[in-house]
Amino acid sequence: MSSHREAPEIAKDPVADSTDVYAFVSPDRPSTVTLIANYVPLQEPAGGPNFYEFGDDVQYEIHVDTDGDGLPDVTYQFQFETVLRDRDTFLYNTGPIRSLDSRNWNSRQFYSVRRRSSGGTEQLGTGLACPPCNIGPLSTPTYRRLAASAVHSLPGGIRVFAGQRAEGFYVDLGSVFDLATLRPFQQLHAKYGMHVFSDPAPGVNATNRLNVHSIAIQVPIAALTGSGQRDESDPRAVIGVWTSASRQHVRVWDADRFENAWSGPFRQVSRLGNPLVNEVLIPLGKKDFWNTQPPVDDEKFAEYVSHPELARLLPALYPGVFPHLAHLDKSGEPRADLEAILLTGIPAGLIKDFQNHTGPVLADMLRLNTAIRPSRTPNILGVLGGDLAGFPNGRRVFDDVVTIELRAIAGLTYPLVAPGYQPDAAASAVTDGVGPRDVTARYLRTFPYLGVPYSGYDNPS
Amino acid sequence: MMGAQQHVDIPASLAGPAGRPVPVSRRSVLRSAAGAGAVGAACLVVGGALGAVPAAAATRPARRAPDSGRAGADRVVVHVRDARTGEIDVFAGTSHTRLRDPGLAAQLAGLMR
Repeated sequence: MSSHREAPEIAKDPVADSTDVYAFVSPDRPSTVTLIANYVPLQEPAGGPNFYEFGDDVQYEIHVDTDGDGLPDVTYQFQFETVLRDRDTFLYNTGPIRSLDSRNWNSRQFYSVRRRSSGGTEQLGTGLACPPCNIGPLSTPTYRRLAASAVHSLPGGIRVFAGQRAEGFYVDLGSVFDLATLRPFQQLHAKYGMHVFSDPAPGVNATNRLNVHSIAIQVPIAALTGSGQRDESDPRAVIGVWTSASRQHVRVWDADRFENAWSGPFRQVSRLGNPLVNEVLIPLGKKDFWNTQPPVDDEKFAEYVSHPELARLLPALYPGVFPHLAHLDKSGEPRADLEAILLTGIPAGLIKDFQNHTGPVLADMLRLNTAIRPSRTPNILGVLGGDLAGFPNGRRVFDDVVTIELRAIAGLTYPLVAPGYQPDAAASAVTDGVGPRDVTARYLRTFPYLGVPYSGYDNPS
Repeated sequence: MMGAQQHVDIPASLAGPAGRPVPVSRRSVLRSAAGAGAVGAACLVVGGALGAVPAAAATRPARRAPDSGRAGADRVVVHVRDARTGEIDVFAGTSHTRLRDPGLAAQLAGLMR
């Protein structure tokens, strides 16, 4: 998956486990950018009696680098607090919840938002209500409206939302982690001598009808890049975005109070910029270490981007399908195309009218050129599909990042840095075979853009 | 070896709720640990966590939040990282300091034997 349960330790800590980051110029408010960080992966909607929530003991942050040094220049910090109305009932709610201040809602969560920059720390909002989880027709009968009321306006033209959403990321998880099976091409897999796939098959979206918890903030572009008109060739128009979750250093199970006690400074336990980097490129023994590191130190992981294991596996697992990629692998040439896409941004001159380069610092950040207007006819393959407003120029909620990265790793983007290289025909066709059509909940046209979460009553059906 | 009354080096950032330094001395650490019956082979918790009893639950605020650093600033956690070298971590609130005191470390470790 993008980054769901991607490392051994963070897989045991769902509330601190970042799953996806999105950053895009808001299509309905193009003077703003929307930044979304998702946590608490793979939620079965029927999650009672303790429905999913953010961690009160986790420090959630969305960072923005505005000068390409791999360090945050602006950080939005989110701190949650759960409040129970009644400790003597086992119920999350004791009747229908029709408003965010409903007396029937027992376990509520609130949060504060702070903005940290070189100018200091500013409290943007406190006591902001999250919506409840989507329980069902009796408990949350007007869910769409109820959740919409949890979009809060803050000073400075900022909007914020934190709460449950439908998972918008799609992937055929069941196949790709079955030794890189891609159902549309499974008949071409080496199959280890077994005769299990004789025909292609459509992909299966393993994350469909699951929920996630989103922290979404919409910010005027000028608040990040400074005032003044920027055009797409201006390096100052490019921002780097990532999220992190931190926990206090020490946890002690307080057996007398039946809860964990935390102490010490906050330490980063999870981070996420570009999708699939820690999931697919970083080796198992370094994934949790990677999670603790800041992007500015990503040079130490650069070899896993420039010589990705998956690029070596594709020709081995699909014999004869990727001969040019196999030759490229054997040459030992570093994949400068992947470094550009994931670690530095794409310099000007490689793709017509496009750049999201942030300089020489190798840092895994989602880079967004904020001067590029939202597309009227988006292509889910983003820049690969000729749509400069999509991944890897930031990331929209519907972008097919699995296919884009698969194709890039398969060699489709290598001609950007080596014009003489001829990608394999399969490189422009390879996919896990799922798309937005496989996401049951519709994406929204307005903030927070991810769909209304699936209700526990209706899912699983 | 330090004298029994000698205070461990607690920085000003480890201030208690009222802004006073947390009164952590080697003796108080040992006394608290002994009184608590010890909470681990090399980890001691001093402060509010020891005072709470289940019966207090009914009068606790409805806020379920965390006994995290924000709420538990009076808690001090002492972690003997390595009894042999005397490396000791002290955590309080959102602060952390590392000491090197082989005598204290050995004494704390000895409590568990």
